[in-house]
Amino acid sequence: MIRIDNLSYQYKNGNKVLKNLNITIKSGEFAAVIGQNGAGKTTLLKHLNGLLKPSQGNITICGLDAAKTKTSVLAKKIGFLFQNPDHQIFCPTVYEEIAFGLKNLGVQHSGIENLVYGAAEKVGIEQYLKTNPFSLSKGQRQRVALASVLAMGTEVLVLDEPTTGQDYSEGIEIMELVKELNVQGKTVIMVTHDMELVAKYAKRVIVLHNGTIIEDGPAEEVLGREESLALSNLQPPQVYLLAKRFHKQGFFKGTYTVEDMFDEIISYLEGEEDASNG
Amino acid sequence: MIPHFQRGDFYGEVRVDGKDTVENNCASIAYSVGSVFQDPEAQIVSSMVDEEIAFGLENLNIPRTEIAVRIKESLEMAGIPELRHSSTAQLSGGQKQRVAIAAAIALRPKILVLDEPTSELDPKGSMDVFNTLGKLNMEYNVTVVVVEQKIQYLAEFCSRLVVMEKGGIILDGPTRAILANQEKLKEIGVNCPPVTRLVDMLKKEGLYQGEFPINIDEAYLVISKVLSGKRR
Repeated sequence: MIRIDNLSYQYKNGNKVLKNLNITIKSGEFAAVIGQNGAGKTTLLKHLNGLLKPSQGNITICGLDAAKTKTSVLAKKIGFLFQNPDHQIFCPTVYEEIAFGLKNLGVQHSGIENLVYGAAEKVGIEQYLKTNPFSLSKGQRQRVALASVLAMGTEVLVLDEPTTGQDYSEGIEIMELVKELNVQGKTVIMVTHDMELVAKYAKRVIVLHNGTIIEDGPAEEVLGREESLALSNLQPPQVYLLAKRFHKQGFFKGTYTVEDMFDEIISYLEGEEDASNG
Repeated sequence: MIPHFQRGDFYGEVRVDGKDTVENNCASIAYSVGSVFQDPEAQIVSSMVDEEIAFGLENLNIPRTEIAVRIKESLEMAGIPELRHSSTAQLSGGQKQRVAIAAAIALRPKILVLDEPTSELDPKGSMDVFNTLGKLNMEYNVTVVVVEQKIQYLAEFCSRLVVMEKGGIILDGPTRAILANQEKLKEIGVNCPPVTRLVDMLKKEGLYQGEFPINIDEAYLVISKVLSGKRR
């Protein structure tokens, strides 16, 4: 679905920000790209919707060569949510903002209203449709941007720090929505700093450090690779670190969420199994 | 005051240095309070980092030699000494946040007020900021009032938590006591440390009755205790 081959990117001043990246993302995956500030995560994401073109290497998105395809065509395949919603919002009302992308896609006028309302309801901002987005809080503007992306119905959803600036519960609501979309078949690629979020939602984790990939694998494996994470100023989720202290006793291997740890404690206490079976 | 956020504060109450904020204008209060707003782009005015930090100091008539000292010191405390001669326009969101923090620190205020100062920072960056705030509080006696979501990291640094909802204060007290109100916090949507949530689930099952842990060391002791309960 998305193939990245030997991708390198350098800015005009010569700084090589991405170095020889090779990633294949299959349809329906939920991948998190993590790394420290400045590792190249956002630069990588911007290649996915054609905002940046590779300096070397190539990217194929749903069969299209990203370097040679217009961003307007790529926009039908990939929906992109920026880290700062103000970089993508510009209409005077929330309604027009969500409708804008649809108009650009050439959606029939009669169909637009339903799609706009549908997307606004999914994200919980239907009461703001007549409001000027810039009078809303940052968290609410992020939801407006998300609704705009959702309305377009793209197969792939790329999210750059989707919960930054949100209350914890607002952030979780958005992530539950994204999870539901993934269950329905959408491919999700998410950049985030929040390790708890990665632990809870991502199935695959890619760690970017200084423009190269230092880890790429199932979440439960990568989240335990403390050295690689430390290199990137990251730390495994809190629950994993707690679980790790019990590994020698045979408990909680491969556990990194609150729910999993709780379940294992309960089944250990209630069951006949001893520690090494837990 | 904005509804729907949680605050952590380090040190007692915020008294604006004995001055009534209604009767005194911003300029006189500025001598006592350093602020860091939620959006660094709204706060940064200069094109260069060192000029940004110098700006507030010049406004307070601090002598030039002193300004140079404070620029160096505040950038070091904020963890970004290398950005001294950088252009503010080319900084990442996280770097901008740290510049805003450095500029506030340079004023050597008695009270530091920060609104979500780590929202754009990675976990280590956030910890560095919290460590800096902790140092300012413990070593320099600065009163710190910080609005934050990352309670799981901050819990260790705060002596007091004030939880707000819809314009009112719902909970206010020592950190550990406040985190014990798991139901209420969950209802409001406060991000408690995951280990605290885990123990809350165990409490509900009747498997544990003691104090809530707020970090991994404490949680380890609690879980060990719970697991050893099997034999009974």
